[in-house]
Amino acid sequence: MNALTFEGLGKSYGEVDIVRDMSLTIAEGEFISLLGPSGCGKTTILRMIAGLIEPSRGRILIGKEDVTSLPPNKRGLGLVFQSYALFPHLTVFENVAFGLRRRKVAGDELSRRVRDALALVRLDAYGERYPRELSGGQQQRVAIARALAPQPRVLLFDEPLSNLDAQLRDEMQIELKRLQRGLGITTLFVTHDQSEALSMSDRVCVMAKGIMQQFATPEQIYRRPATAFVASFIGRPNRLSGTVATRSGAGGSVRLGTGLLLPAAQIDQPEGAAVNVVIRQEAIGLNGGAADPGALAGTVALRAFSGARVQYVVKLAGDVELIAEAASSGPASELAIGSAVSLAIDPAAVFAMAPEAVPA
Amino acid sequence: MRASRYGLILLAPLALVLAGFFILPVLMMLPVSFREYVPGAGLAPGVWTLENYARIVTDDYYREVIWRTLGLGLFVTLACLLLGYPLAYLIARGPERWRVPLILLVIFPMLLNLVVRSFGWIALLANRGLVNNLLLQLGLIHAPLKLMFNITGLMIGLTHIYLPFMVLMLVAAIRNVPGDVEAAAATLGSSRLHVFTSVTLPLSAPGILAGSILVFVLTISALVTPRMLGGPTYKVMATLIYDEFMQLLDWPAGSALSFALTLMAVAVIWLSSRLTRRWAGMA
Repeated sequence: MNALTFEGLGKSYGEVDIVRDMSLTIAEGEFISLLGPSGCGKTTILRMIAGLIEPSRGRILIGKEDVTSLPPNKRGLGLVFQSYALFPHLTVFENVAFGLRRRKVAGDELSRRVRDALALVRLDAYGERYPRELSGGQQQRVAIARALAPQPRVLLFDEPLSNLDAQLRDEMQIELKRLQRGLGITTLFVTHDQSEALSMSDRVCVMAKGIMQQFATPEQIYRRPATAFVASFIGRPNRLSGTVATRSGAGGSVRLGTGLLLPAAQIDQPEGAAVNVVIRQEAIGLNGGAADPGALAGTVALRAFSGARVQYVVKLAGDVELIAEAASSGPASELAIGSAVSLAIDPAAVFAMAPEAVPA
Repeated sequence: MRASRYGLILLAPLALVLAGFFILPVLMMLPVSFREYVPGAGLAPGVWTLENYARIVTDDYYREVIWRTLGLGLFVTLACLLLGYPLAYLIARGPERWRVPLILLVIFPMLLNLVVRSFGWIALLANRGLVNNLLLQLGLIHAPLKLMFNITGLMIGLTHIYLPFMVLMLVAAIRNVPGDVEAAAATLGSSRLHVFTSVTLPLSAPGILAGSILVFVLTISALVTPRMLGGPTYKVMATLIYDEFMQLLDWPAGSALSFALTLMAVAVIWLSSRLTRRWAGMA
């Protein structure tokens, strides 16, 4: 059963296409993320689903119902904003009761459902407070309870965690995921944060410049990026420029700097073409000492310790510099600046693409 | 500490001007309001009395003028609010390219001298004015309507003059209502009308109160327009005070009335700011 369907959905302002014709279907109970850099059109899509922006082309279906021309109050969706958007003049209880009252829920039923919704986000004791008396994380949980209380057909999130600090954001990710799985509610989550999208979603839709780049599971997005954009947007990439040296199948080898040859699994340009090369930091194996056969030799130019990980800037042959990382508890965590290292680069994590395909 | 000291230094010039040219003269009037006025002779020497204040609350004529002034303030404020809110809403939420032209149109009347604008209303509202002549010639009325020298004329004139203040306050307040909060109400099932009454209106309440205080205080202390549209006989407090000082030379009565008017204005501001704090504390 499809919960949400776009058919050729598009939005233009004058000559500018914000969202190019986009089609996809989301199954009942799925958690889908729209992932992309700012300005890629993901928030516009969300607002078109909610009815706050009118699409220029295409249709939106919730279940089997065409809602394209319905006003937002007739769509039966829940929307959680980055800014929380709580009603500042109403108590937490009344905020959560707002949507229920619009559906003519009253009396004991009303207070029971408000209490249930607040219990879901563990704020049962806060009903009488005003939003300004709560912390940012608590306010966002009220906003989630408010969106959930009327039992919407689809729950929409617009960068809901971006205003929270890092630690709270991690907690909320887990809490949100648990909540969504428990309720089995179809969810569309808009974010620019790849770790949020990858860790929470059943499927991720990567967007760039209003165009859908790939719609697949997090594992597929990470391991088999469909486009050059996805390859360079996901993970922590080294971005270098080079030329295609040889081609074989989908891959071949690329030449970096003044002559370093590197095998690459995905190359979308012909031999001899100038390319941007993306190498994931986390796919580079790092060992102290002289190079093993088949590995690259280099020297440590810089070391940066960041808790669980240690990052190294490694100088290779041909004036090439790469950032590689190691677990701070592992054997490669104490390499001194200037010491010799060997790098093992997994060809599957090396992508070469036309220069203009790489996001700024 | 440093910040507050710089703050004081920045405030000092204005504070000195206010103290020297406003507070001091007002305080100098205070003793005068307790003196006795002898017609033809001025202040009776060595006599102190509460008579001037007692007369304000006991004299029927004074009481009528005070009620008239307060009523006028209330009606003009309500009229400005009812006329101003839709306009302010259009300016705040309408197309971006209309905003500046519309605000200029709102401000434009303020570029004209107050006397000129009041004369304009005399030309329109007089017994043989444009409005009455038109209605007579259309045969809609048989005798001229009385549009001047009564509360109708004052209301029309003062509403016109103070409407821009109200609109500017309301535009700022409505623009401060976050769009996301309104969108949230809409997705939760509110129609456009319900979004307005349940979110936009309560969240713009601080602006409504601020605009209302401003218009009310300006109206009850207005002098030029009531003098011109009310004529010499239909008086409000400001024109009465003017006449006590300048025509009757009864400074004690004029001073006492001035303090009564000031007290009323301060009471309204105090009451409203308490209300604002209660409502806007949530906004």
